Amino acid sequence: MKLLFAEDTQDLNHAVTTVLEYQGYDVTSVFDGQEALDALKKESYDVVVLDIMMPQVDGITVLKTMREHAILTPVLLLTAKSEVDDRVAGLDAGADDYLAKPFSMKELAARIRSMVRRSQYESETDLQKGNVTLHANDYSLSAANSVRLSHKEFELMRTLMMHEFMNTQYLLEQVWPDEPAQEDTVKLYLSYLKRKLASIGADIEIAAEGGRIFIREESDG
Amino acid sequence: MQRFMERIDACRHQMKERLGMDPVEHCLCRIKSEESMREKCRRKGLPETCDSALKEIHDAIGIRVVCAFLDDVYTIRDNLAQWQDAKIVTEKDYIKNVKPNGYRSYHMILQADNGYYVEIQLRTISMDTWAALEHHLKYKKQYKGNQELIVSELKRCADELASTDLSMQTLRDLIFEENEAGS
Repeated sequence: MKLLFAEDTQDLNHAVTTVLEYQGYDVTSVFDGQEALDALKKESYDVVVLDIMMPQVDGITVLKTMREHAILTPVLLLTAKSEVDDRVAGLDAGADDYLAKPFSMKELAARIRSMVRRSQYESETDLQKGNVTLHANDYSLSAANSVRLSHKEFELMRTLMMHEFMNTQYLLEQVWPDEPAQEDTVKLYLSYLKRKLASIGADIEIAAEGGRIFIREESDG
Repeated sequence: MQRFMERIDACRHQMKERLGMDPVEHCLCRIKSEESMREKCRRKGLPETCDSALKEIHDAIGIRVVCAFLDDVYTIRDNLAQWQDAKIVTEKDYIKNVKPNGYRSYHMILQADNGYYVEIQLRTISMDTWAALEHHLKYKKQYKGNQELIVSELKRCADELASTDLSMQTLRDLIFEENEAGS
């Protein structure tokens, strides 16, 4: 797990780097924002921890630059300033989390773990319900047989498997957030998935009752 | 075999009238070559006569019915099941039970009332396309490249084609449902 750590205070930088390396991270330490940007150009990281107040280029600017270049790596901001407005500015700039100084190493480590867990969960984890597995790496849906799903079918299936009760409006917002789709689209894609679940010999089905949409397992009453 | 073909044609006609669509894309039939039949008779220790061949060997006559839509495969199957002149000896659904390599089709062996056996394969156009390529690979002399890669990629394509077949069927149902509701 590769981690980029940017902090201009030497002692703090060394201390944190040592602890994180001990925890098993492959740490690249830099002392200002420009070095951080250079490092990001050269390699890709799994986690980035940035101090806000740094010479050359500050943490927020590094973060904004990352997001502008569609680098979605989770970022945790360290801030000596603990004003609400500063925290809001950092989070809105694209940070996933922040930690105010002085902080405990234990908490920093836990927050990093939490970010990593979330990002892995989204991209790499296969989901399972009943005898059905939704494979994240190849968009396939399998039980007794398997079929491949399209991008939107995959997103819809994933949303269905991750939540309890939903309605079409919610699914529309989750799966088609930026495109002009309507309730009809959601209904059609649910039909696709229903048929595909049946074809693979699934023991779960997509149920819709009184406006609520959910996954029903055959074992349920 | 003639009669079987006629039966299938009758079924197609019926469905065409009802739905305005011919359920069958195309229908091929073949009879095994004489040489191949003799060889098989010999292997099974049967007399090499026309009669024994057709009455003992199940795949002397083969018919392949290719449909555009998935449900039509089952419609034809049901139609043949109801036919008085022939009975189903065995049937295997490789659509509900896909073969590990990705192969999908519906196989039936029917016996006509004169004792002759006929092997029938029912499948969709995409299943047919896939099977043709896979067959070529299997029976061609030693493919020199990365065998594993080809096999896994063929499986992927089979699963993608199956997914498209299912989507198309869903769309057809939607279109016909809308039409019925509107009329």
